Amino acid sequence: MDALIVIFITGLIGLFTGLLKKPTLNLIITLCGLAVAFALQLNYGFYKSPFANYQVLEFNVPQLYFSLLAILFTAVIVVGGFGYFKRDASHTGDYYGLLLFSLCGAICLIGFTDLFMFFLGLEILSIPIYVMVGIKKQDVLSAEASIKYFFTGAFATAILLFGIALLYGATGSFNLIEIRSLIQSGEYHTSYLLIGMLFMLGAFLFKVGAVPFHFWGPDVYQGAPEIVTAFMATVVKLAALFAFYSLFNITFQELGYFWIGALYFAIALSLFLGYLGALKQTKFKRLLAYSSISNTGYALFALLSTSHSSLASLLIFLVGYGFSTIALLTISMAISNEDDEIAAFKGIGYKHPFIGFIMLISLLSLAGIPPLTGFFGKFSLLMNAYNNHLWLVILALISSAIGAFLYLRLIVLSLTKDESDKTIALNFWQYFVLSICAIGILGGGFILAI
Amino acid sequence: MELLILPLILGLVMLILPSGWCKLVGGLGSLASLAIAIFHLMSFDPLTQVVLNSSIDKMAFGLTLNFGYDSLGLVMIMLTNAIIPLILLSNWNRELAGNKLFTALVFFMQLGLLGVFTAQDGIMFYIFWEFTLLPIFLILYWFGAKENNKVLFKFFIYTLVGSLAMLLSFIALGINAQSFAYQDLVNVQLSQKMACWVMSGFLLAFAIKIPLFPFHTWQPATYTSSPMAGTMLLSALMLKMALYGMMKWMLPLTSEGIEVMKWPVIILGAIGIVYGAVIAIKQNDIKTLFAFASISHLGLIAAGIMVFNTSAWSGAIIQIINHSLISIGLFLAADILEKRTGTRKLDELGGIAKIAPRFGFWFAAIVFAALSIPFSAGFIGEFILIKELFSFHVLIGILAVSSLILGAVYMLRSYQLSMFGPTKLTSFQDLTWNETAVFVVLSISILIIGLFSTYIIDYTAPAIRVLTAITPFNQLIIE
Repeated sequence: MDALIVIFITGLIGLFTGLLKKPTLNLIITLCGLAVAFALQLNYGFYKSPFANYQVLEFNVPQLYFSLLAILFTAVIVVGGFGYFKRDASHTGDYYGLLLFSLCGAICLIGFTDLFMFFLGLEILSIPIYVMVGIKKQDVLSAEASIKYFFTGAFATAILLFGIALLYGATGSFNLIEIRSLIQSGEYHTSYLLIGMLFMLGAFLFKVGAVPFHFWGPDVYQGAPEIVTAFMATVVKLAALFAFYSLFNITFQELGYFWIGALYFAIALSLFLGYLGALKQTKFKRLLAYSSISNTGYALFALLSTSHSSLASLLIFLVGYGFSTIALLTISMAISNEDDEIAAFKGIGYKHPFIGFIMLISLLSLAGIPPLTGFFGKFSLLMNAYNNHLWLVILALISSAIGAFLYLRLIVLSLTKDESDKTIALNFWQYFVLSICAIGILGGGFILAI
Repeated sequence: MELLILPLILGLVMLILPSGWCKLVGGLGSLASLAIAIFHLMSFDPLTQVVLNSSIDKMAFGLTLNFGYDSLGLVMIMLTNAIIPLILLSNWNRELAGNKLFTALVFFMQLGLLGVFTAQDGIMFYIFWEFTLLPIFLILYWFGAKENNKVLFKFFIYTLVGSLAMLLSFIALGINAQSFAYQDLVNVQLSQKMACWVMSGFLLAFAIKIPLFPFHTWQPATYTSSPMAGTMLLSALMLKMALYGMMKWMLPLTSEGIEVMKWPVIILGAIGIVYGAVIAIKQNDIKTLFAFASISHLGLIAAGIMVFNTSAWSGAIIQIINHSLISIGLFLAADILEKRTGTRKLDELGGIAKIAPRFGFWFAAIVFAALSIPFSAGFIGEFILIKELFSFHVLIGILAVSSLILGAVYMLRSYQLSMFGPTKLTSFQDLTWNETAVFVVLSISILIIGLFSTYIIDYTAPAIRVLTAITPFNQLIIE
């Protein structure tokens, strides 16, 4: 709760200091705020908080880890986008403010114990994103993305609300623990509850971007600025996945017979449609969007297993996936790839070995090649699901071979010998961000596995 | 652990070193790793098992950081650390030798191989197994023939699919064992049906890498499009990983399924022996010829391993060593021909023995070693393997014997067409000192192994007896 307030206030300050048009000052304030929030969250429970009795948000060990990761991702994204903010100085304050507000929503979504807080968190998370996707006002694609995302998102929210209403009608409570005990006791109105839950499932699949609710993904990812794409692919996905997990795998665990079948198909389709769709793309962010659909499929494996290690697996997976995505988008920003063509990546690794190395490890991590973090994430997710869902695990392995082909093409493209004389220069912040990503990708699995 | 750390350090040092130095430092470093391996060999008692690193605590998903080796592992370590200097030496006067990226990748490759041979944990084995794919891929990609993307993609995806199947098998075993430590995995009791499934997963990975008959399609194109050192790494070391994996991991872990699975694999191996040899006879490209010859040789070893008794495995180990040495020699010879005449086509070569007698002599020595003439290591290895295949089934034995005859046909044909007959060449530079040294070392080691193969057989016997479950594991003393 304290961290949440700190982040919110920092966001407000950022919004107003944006008027001064001093991006560096803004960056420092934002980073300080995030650092304080990180420290508060790290020491959560070890100090006396004035909001200790605030029941609606509760942070236990998994919640803390996920919220720390969300804060870390945001910090890395903010730093990595600094070059971009500087060029677009009139919007810097907006970006900082909106990113932090959205992060507030993400933290609400991670710590909620109540459907009311859950809905609030989801909206706080989404509304700044609607704005940020359309922030390039002169750009047609950006406007298209914003409209698309807003309308479909609003629709999904409406369905979610309907689901919550039905759930309330069935159980008479917003509190997750109460709902769970009511479900366990069997005193509920079955069809209301089940339909409400199904609506919520649909809305969730929309938010995490899984098939069959994935259509917004490619357009929105492509239209949004890289910074926002990175934020959506990491923090938003992380928060939505965690909420998905805690709502379905904990609260609705008893009703697994009902929703696991639907989820099963969503995962199986996501695994393949994402990578197969990505094979034909020529735009980089679109490709990343499609690959993120498949990666969502992997992440959803966490919901199939009730063992407590599945959350840890999800965390490792998200560390690998998030850092890889941030690294790739930072590189895309660094080569000022305005047209977003994949062809622009040709030879950059050869020209700039550091970029080449980062491209190599981040793509290999996405492909799940050991000893990178992505491998440990996928491996432990699949291992948890092995006992009950063998066929889905086999499908996942097949799809990861397709994915490896996809990523390998990108690696090969970036490592080809390129004789043209274009130059690539990274600024200090980008070096910094890419190094952090490299640490996360190389060591994340080992650190978290211990 | 210095076995593993040294190549890692060498690889990293190569990346920062100025280009002029990396040839010398790389050569010395590889000799140092050979010295370390010899030191391990000297202080090793075959009746024991050495633990390099053991972790009592399991990590989050049952992963342990166990490393160690038995005598089989040590033979493979020794082989790796002896082959790497030879590869660097045969590369010495080529342009790649001064390339620091290349030298670094060779050392990373060595790290991966040593990791595979020392891993005592299923997931560590898998990690290093996959890790070897990266350096070899980059070597082939950066330093191989131009426009070889298609070939490389096939190679990478093919082997990756196999590895994923192996990962599934490891997960299946690990779930049962609640751990991935080697001994825990061995102790898992599986039903025969389950064991067959698990073994199929392993087999897909190993059969693709070896490669066994229907899974070999990646191999010839990959060999021909890669630089000499890449081909050497692939054929002399990387394929041996799969054979080692069969002996150390696949069969002990899923011994319940061996009775069912031995037939298909041995039949595939036998088909591979004949198929590889027949295709090799018709080849015009000398590198492709050697690639198919390699399919034939390795089919024999794989079939022998699946017979699953101590004697066949002794033969397999000798033949593994022998094949590594021979393939270094053959691909060096092929590269010498290609570099100095500009072609690999047999019908465009000829008459070189007259111009370059030293090359003619040493190439002949390697060719004869590949024919497994008596006193060479191949003679012992093939003899034991064929004997065991005969006692397994007469028909299989007959197919296996044909490898000797057909081998003589394609090997002598390749030698005759390239070295004798009329020539269009006016000059051909004879062997340089480093090439001569490689050939001499190879020939002498093949001869020594051929004469004293009982030492290797006795040396590896305790490990083999444990792996084939004749003596229980606890009779080995853990050091």
